[in-house]
Amino acid sequence: MKKVLGNKGAVAWFVLPALILYTAIVFVPIVWSFYYSLFSGSPGLKWKFCGMKNYFLLFKDKNFLDALIVNGKYIAIVMVGQVGLGLLLALMFMFWLKKCKSLVRTLVFFPVVLPTVAVGELFAKIYEIQPNYGLLNSVLDSLGFHNLVQAWLGQASTALGCLCFMDIWVAMGFYSVIFYGALLDIPYDIIEAAKIDGCSGFNLFRYVLSPLLKPITVVACVFSFSGTVKMFESATALTGGGPGNATKSLSMYMYEVAFSYNKVGYASVLALVIFLICIGGSSIIGLFDKSSKEDN
Amino acid sequence: MKRKVLSVFLTAAMAVGMLAGCGSSASTASGSQSASTEAVTASSTETASVTSETSATAATGDTDPQMKKKIKILSIWAEDNDNGVLINQICNDYKKVNPNFDYEYEYVASDDLKQKIATLAASNDLPDVFVYESGKPIVDLINADQIVDISDVLKKYNCADYIEPSAESLLTTLSQTDDLYDLPLGLNIEGFWYNKALFQKAGVEVPSTWDEFDSALKKLKDAGIQPLACGGADKWGATRLINAYTVRTLGPDAMKKAADGDAKYTDAGYVAAAQKLQDWANAGYFGQGVTTVDMNTAGTMLMTGKAAMFYNGSWFTSNLNDTSANAAGADGIGFFNIPVQDESISGADSYSMNCGNILCLGKAKYDDATGWFVKYFVEHMGDTAMTVQGSVKGYTYTADTSKATGYTQLVLQEMAKAKSSFTWYEATMGSEVSTVAQENVQSLLNGDMSAQDYMKSIQDASDSQAE
Repeated sequence: MKKVLGNKGAVAWFVLPALILYTAIVFVPIVWSFYYSLFSGSPGLKWKFCGMKNYFLLFKDKNFLDALIVNGKYIAIVMVGQVGLGLLLALMFMFWLKKCKSLVRTLVFFPVVLPTVAVGELFAKIYEIQPNYGLLNSVLDSLGFHNLVQAWLGQASTALGCLCFMDIWVAMGFYSVIFYGALLDIPYDIIEAAKIDGCSGFNLFRYVLSPLLKPITVVACVFSFSGTVKMFESATALTGGGPGNATKSLSMYMYEVAFSYNKVGYASVLALVIFLICIGGSSIIGLFDKSSKEDN
Repeated sequence: MKRKVLSVFLTAAMAVGMLAGCGSSASTASGSQSASTEAVTASSTETASVTSETSATAATGDTDPQMKKKIKILSIWAEDNDNGVLINQICNDYKKVNPNFDYEYEYVASDDLKQKIATLAASNDLPDVFVYESGKPIVDLINADQIVDISDVLKKYNCADYIEPSAESLLTTLSQTDDLYDLPLGLNIEGFWYNKALFQKAGVEVPSTWDEFDSALKKLKDAGIQPLACGGADKWGATRLINAYTVRTLGPDAMKKAADGDAKYTDAGYVAAAQKLQDWANAGYFGQGVTTVDMNTAGTMLMTGKAAMFYNGSWFTSNLNDTSANAAGADGIGFFNIPVQDESISGADSYSMNCGNILCLGKAKYDDATGWFVKYFVEHMGDTAMTVQGSVKGYTYTADTSKATGYTQLVLQEMAKAKSSFTWYEATMGSEVSTVAQENVQSLLNGDMSAQDYMKSIQDASDSQAE
């Protein structure tokens, strides 16, 4: 086997098919987007070369900035929520839950398999205020918190938070399963040894478990980041980007620019921005992984 | 060595497999492409032969010369739905008149319609007959000289009288032309639907001026009734209310003036109308969380007595006629036109009207055979729509309306009162401006944006579109 892998020619033959495929479905569209971004209008309709004009437009566009801020907040909240709660749940499965382990795990994982639109409809009902109070408002009302009864999705101050909560609820089961798998992989004698040395509770997590979980945490963060940076379907299903622009993400804005404003060129610029954010974010997260390897 | 040979062999096998995979898919693609090219060539030769026949027998009398043609119809309704039923029925009826006629009915989702037409227009390949949107989109097609002047067709085939004058004036206003460039597929009036029982309970009379309307709102609210239901989640439900006040205070051409640059959206009158909407929201007339309510829910609230008034078009009768949904019963809901501020600016006989989606004829494919079909269509659409669906489509009809339900009758009576019409808020706006107007209306309702800022955002979008 070593002989085969030592042969550069053979390696090239193995890599080539995948490389061609990758180039065709990833690299070509990126270059294509860049080419499109130099034009104004929509292909076949007022399609004119306009140089870098679309790029200058980016800096003047307030809607772009708003969408970027919304997207940024969403990524920060949802990433911390999904990964953090996923980890807590995994620790709960591992150390705290004695009975009905698999039942609870199934329940927590259940939202992952639900279609996004169905979840959106479900939460729209939970947050509902008119014509009838939804679950949340009825609970608040019956507990006597009348002043907390509000249009959760109908005001800019709470809509994004409600959306984040929904997406955390949906995905935390997925991350808990990943972390639980990683926890099972940790040899129990390490934990036992730590316990004999008098390490328990938070210290056990801080000094023993978290260093061992670091690689999987990085992976989970990359998953969560790439899932949240393209925020689209859950927001579309729950709020449609509203009220106003309060929950409109970059991808939603890009879609709007391309397909309802018919400005495919400018939308391509937005697509490239999203692409750069993806690359930038993933490599920043990757840095943690690198530093952990160097530690070893 | 043996291993090396084996590895090379395996690699080669894999690469060949891969290429074979690509090859087969490529050949299918090119196969289907050539098939479609064939179809195109076939149809184009057919059209060519038709044109030659046509020029030989260019008759314009009243008897159909039974020309041979297969027309293509692009529609946003499936064959068994809404206008799709009517179009197909008329086509099939026309086949009996002209056995040489045939048609191909293509369905496209309404969201994709504009994109599809834009692409076809760019390649000069618009279908013979297609559904489109009135207002700004059709103006672009007229300017590009892509669609047929329908007034000419109607004159030539002597059937102009079959179009309702109100529909015609509406369509020409929307296309900003003297001639008609599209055929109506509906004729709707809009106004306030109200729950009679709730009005009676609060002791409110049907308001005819904005002052009366405001006091009615207050009276209803004081009686513990939510005065207005509005589909703020669907956005247009809210902008229609601004439009209602704008037109009654500034005149029916107010929105066009602002769109043409003869006035600014930020002028005091326009801001006042937006302010009106915000005042109502602040006073709690829409209840809580109006931006989360969609038009359907708002309609249900009216019918189930949870709100007293609801602004919507005459298409709402289909919900009202549904006895399982309409808890108010066959006579529980009434209708009144938008209240008047000053008779000299916009009178009570002026209604907000629209023709829904419209039909256009592609210029490149138009010939006399299509002309004769259009004649048949125009002459029979009114009666077909009334007998099949009990609906008014903007054509004259002779069918009996006495069997229609109370709500349909109500709409017909109101329509008969209409002397002039005006259009909706976004009719004169391009897609960017209209998106801004609709999205920000939610912020206006919430109080996140002042009326001044709201109108300014529309003006800004309009300015940047003009650049």
